[in-house]
Amino acid sequence: MSALPIEARGLRKAYRSGLKGRTVLALDGLDLDVRPGEMFGLLGPNGAGKTTTVKILLGLTRATSGEARLFGIPVGNPESRRRVGYLPEGHRFPGYLTARETLAIFGRMSGVDGPALRSRIEPLLDRVGLASWRDVRVKKFSKGMTQRLGLAAALVHDPQVLLLDEPTDGVDPVGRREIRDLLREEADRGRAILVNSHLLSEIERTCDRVAVLRAGRIAAQGTIAELTAQTTRYRMAVSPIDDALLASLRETGSEVTRVNGHLELSARDLVQLNAAVDRVRARGALLEELSPLRASLEDVFVDLIAPASVAGAGPKEPS
Amino acid sequence: MRALAASVEEVFREAAARWTLVAYFTLSTIFILLFATAVNLDIVNGALAGAKLFGQSVEIGRSSVDIDRLVLGFESGFSGFLYLVGTFLALFATAHLVPRLQEKGTIDLYLSRPVGRVPLLLSRYTAGLLLAAANLLYLIGSLWLIIVWKTHVVHGRFFLAGLSILFTIATLLAFAFLVGVVTSSTGVSLMATYAIFFFSAILAAHSRISAALSKDWAAKLVEALYWIFPKTAQLGRATVAHVAGDQAFRGIGDMNLLAVYGSTAIFGIATLMLACWLFSRKDF
Ligand SMILES: Nc1ncnc2c1ncn2[C@@H]1O[C@H](COP(=O)(O)OP(=O)(O)OP(=O)(O)O)[C@@H](O)[C@H]1O
Ligand SMILES: [Mg+2]
Repeated sequence: MSALPIEARGLRKAYRSGLKGRTVLALDGLDLDVRPGEMFGLLGPNGAGKTTTVKILLGLTRATSGEARLFGIPVGNPESRRRVGYLPEGHRFPGYLTARETLAIFGRMSGVDGPALRSRIEPLLDRVGLASWRDVRVKKFSKGMTQRLGLAAALVHDPQVLLLDEPTDGVDPVGRREIRDLLREEADRGRAILVNSHLLSEIERTCDRVAVLRAGRIAAQGTIAELTAQTTRYRMAVSPIDDALLASLRETGSEVTRVNGHLELSARDLVQLNAAVDRVRARGALLEELSPLRASLEDVFVDLIAPASVAGAGPKEPS
Repeated sequence: MRALAASVEEVFREAAARWTLVAYFTLSTIFILLFATAVNLDIVNGALAGAKLFGQSVEIGRSSVDIDRLVLGFESGFSGFLYLVGTFLALFATAHLVPRLQEKGTIDLYLSRPVGRVPLLLSRYTAGLLLAAANLLYLIGSLWLIIVWKTHVVHGRFFLAGLSILFTIATLLAFAFLVGVVTSSTGVSLMATYAIFFFSAILAAHSRISAALSKDWAAKLVEALYWIFPKTAQLGRATVAHVAGDQAFRGIGDMNLLAVYGSTAIFGIATLMLACWLFSRKDF
């Protein structure tokens, strides 16, 4: 029973489009593991293959090659979806159903029986902030409300795995925070969560691990701390700072700049960093702080993606 | 089972919400009311009263007609009418079932549940047939009750028309599903299915058509299509004949009943299987 909630090996997907047999390579050898209790962020520019990955995990689209399993069950088997909740990108619920009816129908499709559903629907609508809209037809919902309903529908059968494609799309800032908290709660209950999003600050705040997709491949993967740590740049607070100190530090080979009363220096390795510290002390200055500089997730993302979009920003053109 | 029942229920809710079910049953109800009013007219009442007094015949003009045969005539005539109108209405009310399901943003919601694709498609097919069957039962059952009430003539055979019409709808709906899976378009599904209906009816005259064709392969093609396509013209006549009893059923061209129903059933089953196969292989 040690099968991972989400496991993918070497996923490749070539979409054939048009009659002339043009193909778009949406995924090109993707490996993915998501563990229980983990919130995993899948990032990448438009057309990178995020939605395609999720669709393959749900059996909506067949991978050209490679394999994917949910709890060890191959994704081609409908049983693999029994413990999965999915929030699709741009989903459209039948407009003639009310929020409550929607959850009842889709809950039953996931095999939940009547009594269990009755006890689950009200608290769930409350949790996503739709309690007072429970008997309103879905066609009257605003975009953010539809998104909240989608989240409720993904949770109605209390799944072990959540696959969410842009879960906070169209949701107001307060709602986004609520959704973030709700997802964190689910992760803390041991659910494995895979989130696709463009909102990097949100991902940075909630996800345990992220992968950045570029043109169907993983360009970088790791915890937020791993990705954002820039081990070559440090913040150094010393006093006093004078030009002689700067000159002395530069003699070690470090690049040093003065920023708002402290120093930022680059060091090739720890030896060079410690050499810089020796210079500071040798000059009788006092060291107050020395810490690695962190980039924001956005900086990392832009750095990773930029080389690919030199020829022109935006999604890659069909070949 | 729970999942499939939910899928069927959803189709019914949709039908009720989309006015198709409402319109379908409203039209049927208007028809039933018109009929009930007609049989209550004084002239009909008088004729029927006469029939009951002087044995089982009604005076129509100068000839007298056996009331049993009169009722049978009406019932079989109505069956022919219902064969055409009922089939068309049923298809009109159900042809959207697959295209709606396959809409972007909707299909994801269904396929992400632990339901196989083929059971999902078949549950919608079943729901469509149930919808059509409910309407047929409502129409035929109501008329039958009115007839029994007014004339005391009881013909169970009238209900055979319903079965025969439902069989035709099942076949054509399978074809509509196939076109729906491929094109995701309700309009195209409807047009293609109506086209098949009329084209097949024309093929009933296959022997005369192929005799008139100069090319041998063309004649063979017509014959082949005749055997492959549903026998819509013969089914219509068979529907009437079932109700009327044997007297009106003096053979349907060169075909016996078994061949009519058998070849049509094969067409229906084959198209439904093809629809399931394509649906289960589709990328969404
Ligand atoms: N059904 C399809 N047929 C053909 N090509 C497709 C299809 N779906 C996706 N693609 C192509 O596959 C690539 C990846 O698309 P995908 O939707 O996975 O991107 P994404 O990372 O989710 O992008 P976004 O951030 O815009 O949602 C794109 O180049 C897209 O054009
Ligand atoms: Mg996407």
